Amino acid sequence: MTHSDAGGRPSAEQSLDETDFRLLDEIRELFQAADPMPADLPERIRFSLALRDLEVEVARLVEQEAVAARGQEQSRTITFDSDSMTIMIRIDANRDGTARVDGWLAPPQRREIEMKTAADSLSVASDEQGRFAFARVPRGTAQLVVRPAEQEGRSVVTPALIL
Amino acid sequence: MDDRKPVTVRASQPERSERIARLVSAAQKGDEDALGEIVTEFSPMLWHIARAAGLSTGDAEDVLQTVWMRLLAHLDGIRTSAALAGWLVTTTKREAWRVRSAGRKQLPADTELFTALPDPGPGSEEQVITDDQRRALWLAIGRLSERCQELLRVIAFVPRPDYAAVAAELGMPVGSIGPTRGRCLAKLRALLGIDPEGSLA
Repeated sequence: MTHSDAGGRPSAEQSLDETDFRLLDEIRELFQAADPMPADLPERIRFSLALRDLEVEVARLVEQEAVAARGQEQSRTITFDSDSMTIMIRIDANRDGTARVDGWLAPPQRREIEMKTAADSLSVASDEQGRFAFARVPRGTAQLVVRPAEQEGRSVVTPALIL
Repeated sequence: MDDRKPVTVRASQPERSERIARLVSAAQKGDEDALGEIVTEFSPMLWHIARAAGLSTGDAEDVLQTVWMRLLAHLDGIRTSAALAGWLVTTTKREAWRVRSAGRKQLPADTELFTALPDPGPGSEEQVITDDQRRALWLAIGRLSERCQELLRVIAFVPRPDYAAVAAELGMPVGSIGPTRGRCLAKLRALLGIDPEGSLA
């Protein structure tokens, strides 16, 4: 990569040549090293996609914030939005290393709610105010599924999150 | 970039496109492993699209999860690797914009990024250029406009056979016979002293 002393300017209108492709290969390597995708991300995505056979409505994460809590462990609140509802959850650390998850559905409604984790899945029901709680959830990847109210309705699923 | 040195070996274009098309077809029939392979193949490209758009690592992860979950609803209409890449690029850009415009924290341009040469670490592809050449390339990228940095970063992750399908989407100029080099690559080559024929003086 020395500097040419003569030579015309590389033209932007030319088709990509082997040198361009090799430059792009090197650029890819450099950015891969400078800002690598988390190695476990594809695995977490595959975890989320395991629900694929369900007719689902995907909730998007719209807000996430850490809230101060007593003790050293921080709590987090996360809000998910889908076409039909908003799901807000608060995650606190239990002393035994598991997580407590308190949630609210808006609009308020009774639903069956499932927390899928790597090991198994936990199930609770929300009350008529839309509140629900999982007292102890193992740490790791987890995903919420709000089951439909009626047989033919759609489940609402959140992206996988790390507790 | 010495022309006499071996080019990094990649799967030939038709071979890769056929493989992706087969994976798409298997995924449509419910093959989870095929879908997983597609995720593994394309996620790095989507990661760099989201990060180049200024998202935090956490927001970029959320965007990728959303994009892949949305793909499930659109998978049946996709036949080719190029169509898949095009859909993924478009959707990731749109989701990244959505997250940014929702007022969530946006990172300032990373001015530190180009001060140190990234360490490729063990297991990276065989080194076809020297450390000095890599350093020169990295510094040259750092001297480009932010817009060019973003563009080159993203197109570097687009699989070669899918270039034509996603070029326009990414703002790459397309000539009569396909994508052209464009202003950003031309500028980079000028900074590196590579002449139009690809050889070094």
